[in-house]
Amino acid sequence: MGETILVAENICKSFGITKAVRDVSMTFARGEIHGLIGENGSGKSTFVSMLCGIHSIDSGRFLLNGEELHVKNQVEANDKGVSIIVQEMGTLSGLTVAENIFLGREDRFVKYGIKNTTAMNREAARLLDKYGFGHIDAAAMIDHYHFEDRKLIEIVKATYFDPQIVVIDETTTALSQNGREELYKHMKRIRDEGKTIIFISHDLTEVIEFTDNISVLRDGSYIDTVKSSDASEDELKRLMVGREIASKYYRTDYGEPVSGETVLSVQGVSVPERINGISFELYKGEILGFGGLSECGMHEVGKAIFGASYDRTGSVTLADGTKIDSIPTAIRHSIAYASKDRDNESIIIYDSIRDNIILPSINDLAEKRILRKKKLNEFANRYAKLISVKMTGVDQFVSNLSGGNKQKVVLARWIGRDSDIIVLDSPTRGIDVKVKADIYALMSELKAKGKSIIMISEEIQELLGMCDRIIIMKNGVINGEFKRDERLSEEDLIAKMV
Amino acid sequence: MSIGKRLNELKKNELFGRFYGIMLLLLLAVFFWAVFKILTPDNFGTLEKTYYYLQSSIIYSVGACGFYFIVVMGLFDFSIGANVVLSAIIGVTLSKQFGYPGLLIGAVLCGLAIGLCNGVIYAKLRIPSMIVTVGLMLIFECVAYFASGGEKQSLDPSLQFFGHAPGNMILALIAFLLTFFILKYTKIGTYCYAIGSDEYVAKNMGINVNKYKILGFVLLHGFVGIMAVLSVSFGTSMTALTGMATMSRNFTPLMGTFFGLAFRKYGTPVTAMVIGEFIISIIFNGFIALGAPTTIQNVVTGAALLLIVAITTKPAKGAVVK
Repeated sequence: MGETILVAENICKSFGITKAVRDVSMTFARGEIHGLIGENGSGKSTFVSMLCGIHSIDSGRFLLNGEELHVKNQVEANDKGVSIIVQEMGTLSGLTVAENIFLGREDRFVKYGIKNTTAMNREAARLLDKYGFGHIDAAAMIDHYHFEDRKLIEIVKATYFDPQIVVIDETTTALSQNGREELYKHMKRIRDEGKTIIFISHDLTEVIEFTDNISVLRDGSYIDTVKSSDASEDELKRLMVGREIASKYYRTDYGEPVSGETVLSVQGVSVPERINGISFELYKGEILGFGGLSECGMHEVGKAIFGASYDRTGSVTLADGTKIDSIPTAIRHSIAYASKDRDNESIIIYDSIRDNIILPSINDLAEKRILRKKKLNEFANRYAKLISVKMTGVDQFVSNLSGGNKQKVVLARWIGRDSDIIVLDSPTRGIDVKVKADIYALMSELKAKGKSIIMISEEIQELLGMCDRIIIMKNGVINGEFKRDERLSEEDLIAKMV
Repeated sequence: MSIGKRLNELKKNELFGRFYGIMLLLLLAVFFWAVFKILTPDNFGTLEKTYYYLQSSIIYSVGACGFYFIVVMGLFDFSIGANVVLSAIIGVTLSKQFGYPGLLIGAVLCGLAIGLCNGVIYAKLRIPSMIVTVGLMLIFECVAYFASGGEKQSLDPSLQFFGHAPGNMILALIAFLLTFFILKYTKIGTYCYAIGSDEYVAKNMGINVNKYKILGFVLLHGFVGIMAVLSVSFGTSMTALTGMATMSRNFTPLMGTFFGLAFRKYGTPVTAMVIGEFIISIIFNGFIALGAPTTIQNVVTGAALLLIVAITTKPAKGAVVK
């Protein structure tokens, strides 16, 4: 291990009664990519948020190059040589690309109070070119760019000023393979320049491949640091969870027949510029997987079934002949949907766990149109506990939960509704191994109860491991279909994706 | 590529976007002018009258420019009308002793002071801006009443340069250029947009959010001070009103701000506010020319505003609109 650049000494942080980070001490070396892993809610993001001034430290201290680091916001952290690419959207709408890159640091372009917009745009364009993102126009409004390009802009924003420490917090889940490759390339470049990267990810394969050392947090406490070259996924899982996690947490059954009873029929469904003429049947007790490259249209299939697509044509019909053409109709007829974009489309982030869980069941819970809090609490508690949401109580705001627990709240909502057809879009995206295992177990349980599940996923392994049938999409159309089979391999699926 | 898609791609280009936005607004102005000209050719739309519509609209455009600074941050202010009255009365009073400097500086300084008062009280009390400014509006109305002694304050005829062209045009143009400059060439503009986009992220970028919100109120009311000069010069006098009677003065400038917000995506908020107010003025005056009752005028003006903003904004399907 090289010379130490950053030391964390007894760092603690609580949110109300929840102890998010407990007495964490660890060191980071100059010129390394240091992985930071742990289950959802293990305190990784809170730890780095304190380093970057997003959250204040309750007790303990950070030492950067031997000097105490005490920053109140991201710009102060940047000035001290620490930057972060955050998990969520870190760019601001309504500003140009250049304004976003230099936000809070415009003073170099300001003379006598006047901002030299031309110089700022020119410098931003130079940086974008240097990073290989020349397709992005520095003077354009950032709203013109999609999520992935905005993440690339964030890479520039977080690293152009040569910080000594760069934190990359669970960014890769939002990126396609190309975007990831860009990020890895810049991570290596920054490391080779003698800077340090703290890399947070749930993708253990990527953590092992691209880091030099890996530290593990569990329940807010520091557990261990291992050399990446000596680490195995199983060992890391054990350190994260505190017990052995079976390396195979998928279904183990093969060859069991699926009912021939159709519960949902999708015929010739098209959504302009997204999907074209999709037809398939879903059977009772079946887990039907949808796979493909990120932009292949599979995510739109979930929306189309749930009646959430715009300008949809074709038909989505239940076994009893009911046509599903709107979200209320879908919910009324026992269809559930968990979107890939959890925070924006599935969860009401600034509301309680209770209100999130009861939402689709509210009419059933009302007594003569009056809602009784006791009954709502009982309902929410029952289903939150059923799938082990880690919470202080159902009054807790969802915004305070980790990604995995937010996903559990979404699932609790639909289990509470006793939905018969459940559409799960990327259900384990950004979720740690333990919650993943819980979700897979829950899916198997629902299947055993005769519920039908559509799982849309970009993770080929989970499609192979969990589905009775897999449909592969390419350019908005179905390009292949596979039955569950032990001999089915990733290569078989990939061949139909690209 | 379809024509619609191609046009959307072109609109991303800064220059074409601006051109497109301005042309759209001018077309709307011509459309409404033509409609009223056809309906009432004798009473409406001569060159002289159209120039008059423009002159009356620029008063509100100046207010709209001020409003823009706080509305983009998600704030609101109900005390614009009260400020117009109070600043005009202070300006007129001071003009009696100091002439034009008294009128201009008095009204603008009074406006700035009101803005500072609104901003600081909003930031310190942490009460929603709507509630703060309704409370303060009642106070400012009473202050104006006492300052004027309940009497109508008339501007001396020798001091009415800003009531007609070119004086009003020059003053308004200065205000428009100032708005454009602040939005485009100072940190204030960038930070107003950043706070409006995500206050939490803005705070994390080291932006002193409260400072810029207060500054937003100060700028708003500074511009309202200029609007007061234009108003009292155009109308030649000002009478203090109480009991929320000044409230109605808020809405015409606000309508212009809506145009600015709707056309912000084309990079032309200031031009949009100016042309937008002109369109509203055309509609108002068109109805007057038709002899329509005020109530009908208000209904149709409101409907036209909704229609214009709905057509020009056209958010993407599924986009959340608040």
